Formats: sequence, C-alpha cells, structure tokens
Amino acid sequence: MCLAIPMEISRIDGYTARCTAKGIARDVSLFLMQGEPLAVGDFVMVHVGYAIQRVSPEDARSSWELFDEMLAAENGRA
Amino acid sequence: MTGAREWLSRIRDLPRDGPVKIMNVCGGHERTIALSGLRSVLPDTVALIAGPGCPVCVCPEEDVYQAIQLALRSGVMLVAFGDMLRVPVNLPKREVRSLEQAKAAGADVRAVASPREAVQLALRHPGREVVFFAAGFETTMAPVAASLLEGAPENLSVLLAGRLTWPAVRMLLESEDSCLDALIVPGHVSTVMGLGEWSFVVEAFGLPAAAAGFTPDSLLAAIYSVLRQRREGAPFLDNCYARVIRPDGNPAARDQLRRVFGITGANWRGVGPIPASGYVLRPPFDRHDARLRFPDFAQAGRKRAGDMPAGCDCARVVLGKIRPVECTLYGIACTPQSPVGPCMVSDEGACRIGWTSGERPHAAHH
Repeated sequence: MCLAIPMEISRIDGYTARCTAKGIARDVSLFLMQGEPLAVGDFVMVHVGYAIQRVSPEDARSSWELFDEMLAAENGRA
Repeated sequence: MTGAREWLSRIRDLPRDGPVKIMNVCGGHERTIALSGLRSVLPDTVALIAGPGCPVCVCPEEDVYQAIQLALRSGVMLVAFGDMLRVPVNLPKREVRSLEQAKAAGADVRAVASPREAVQLALRHPGREVVFFAAGFETTMAPVAASLLEGAPENLSVLLAGRLTWPAVRMLLESEDSCLDALIVPGHVSTVMGLGEWSFVVEAFGLPAAAAGFTPDSLLAAIYSVLRQRREGAPFLDNCYARVIRPDGNPAARDQLRRVFGITGANWRGVGPIPASGYVLRPPFDRHDARLRFPDFAQAGRKRAGDMPAGCDCARVVLGKIRPVECTLYGIACTPQSPVGPCMVSDEGACRIGWTSGERPHAAHH
C-alpha cells in the first residue's frame, strides 16, 4: 500500500493526468501537486492514485528496474 | 551516481566499532533490504531493524472490529485498502474475524487502491452509505485529505485509522530499553512532510539519521552515512534521497493535511496509545466522520494495548524487538496463506516481507 511508483504523464485534464509506467496506464490525481507546474512528458511519484512529487526520468527508470528485479525475486521465492 | 557496490565497499572499509543497530520505519525500505539481501552482505556488526513501518499492522483491533460490524450489521458498503481485508481480530474462530470473512458472509466489502475509488463508488451508489476504512501513514493521509477537499458526496464517510510516523519513533527512542544507534528516515513520508520533522532524532537523542530512497544504492548510501556520522561522533540529518525529498516536502500536500485533519492521541495495535500520533477530521469535514455517523458501532470497550491475537508476537516485531523468525508461530502456524497476526497479512509487514524474501523458521521450532 505504501509503495509509490514513478509514472510518466501522457495527458492532463484538470487535476487528472493519464500516466503510464512500463506499458500500464492509470488515471492519477494531480490535486496534491498544486503549485508545481507539470506537463505531458514529466514524471511523477504516484502513491495510492495521487502524484506526491516530481521525479527525474533517470530516477523513474532506475526505480522501474528495481521493481522488475524485486518482482523476479518474489516470484522466484514465494 | 555511486552504485550499490561502491557504497558497500565504503561501508566495509569503515573501521568496525562494535555492534550498530539501525532502524528503518518504512515497509518499502524493509522490502528492498529483504529482497535484495542487504543483511547478508553487510558486516556482521551492522544490524538492520525493521521498526513500526506498517500502517496496517498498527491499525487498532477495535477499528478493524468496528469496520467488520459496520459491514455486517448496518448494510453499508465498506471499502478499504486490499491489505486490510485479511487482518484478523481477536474473536473465537466461529465468529466473523476479518473483513474478508464478512464479505464471504454476505457483507458488501470492496478493496480499493486509492481514495479516489472510494469517492467514485459513493458517486455511483448515491442511495448507499459508503464507509472508507482508511489506514495509512502521512503518505496515504495526504491523498485522503485531497479526496475530501476535491469534493466527496455526502453518502461517503471515513473510518479514519491514519497515523503519524515520527511520534512512534520518538516514543521508541524515549523508552528505557531503547538500544537503537541510528535511524533510516522514511523516504515517501518525508517526500510529503519534508525532512525537518526528523531533526529531533539528532537534536534530542544525538543519533545519526539519514533519509533513503527505495533502491539498494540509496539505502546503502544512508547506511554508510549513519555509520560514518557515528564513527566521527558528529550526527546530522542526512538526505540520501535528495532528488525526491525537498527540505519542505510537498507544501501543497502539507497544507491540505492541515486543512482537513487535526492531530490527536491514538492507539497503535500492539504498542498502545501514543500522544499526538493520529488524525481526526476537522469541521466541516467531520460530517464525513464514520464514527460520528455510526456512533452505535464504536467499541470503546475493546480498546486495550497489546491486543495481538493469542500467541502472536507481532507487537514485538512491530517495535523491532525481535526478528520475524524469532516468533514461534512464524512460518509454522502463521503463513501468508493462513496469517495469525497483521505482520504476516500486509505487504508492508515485516513477517510477510521476511517470508517473501525466503526467510524460513529455524529448525529448533519444529
């Protein structure tokens, strides 16, 4: 529940952004990001459906790689 | 950027000063530590302790009981984060002991992944009372605040079980038997709240502290930082996740938390009451307070400290006093398929994380 995932903004409509991460698309609220101008192509850290902070593309990619490794580890051991 | 290997070799190159206990208070940190096997590669003198980093684990038993009773007896639609559904309460086996069992008994219980889904369910069912059972730390409570500020329908109420992380750490450090030497500051709590609220670790207790992200290299950087601070006798609050954690956190999120919630004393399952560690809805948002809307279902009489299921050692696991494998139920009577305590239910519970990363009970227990 507390795991936050970086996602890339692909569309913005008011406080709702269509975001993608590794081929998965979700509607994400930007309500907590008021005062932080965001645009299509930016990356945000998403927690329980809400963007909580901007992140760099490099950080997003390294987090995604980590998630892949951890999922592989879980599937291998669980 | 310095990689995990480089941080590890720097840690190994530090002179050893005897045993060092470093606590983390975040399920995400514990997951990375366990799944990347950090404990097995660090020097033997460094112990990584998982502290109270699982909001589902510390959610009071009386709140879970109230949610179950609301779902069973009042006909409400009860929505909760998926982790909450299998958390058991202390009732005889023949009774309904979890939200999952309430659902099986015909109650309308639904798992959601976001407060927005709770709002959407209430909007789609205007004739129903929808109760959102909201457990979580600051990172989750900011989205809960946002969902109410954005405009929630009147048929939505919130059974609030949110907690602040730092008061629990302060309580641990103040306890007489505390033998912690350093703290890894939670990454996403600080992303929202800023780093400043952790300065008490250094200022009041003189302990090294460092905020970390969720990759092994970020955690190793934080471990190196606190070991070096300790070595040099000059503790400070370091930020090893500075690309995401800003000094003042996310000001908009903090403002929304302040507008929606007051702070109150709160009970922590297995720990007991901690002053100023819980949230309460402020007017006018208190019209969404499920405790005020359904006062008959409040079970104050159930409140007591240390209320884990019989034989379950989750209370000591939550406080970092023992490792999961030291509980006699771990992996024997208590598994992810058939959990006894909340630490084996939640993805952020130390027992569940330990099991998932391959930790198995010692043979001596058989």
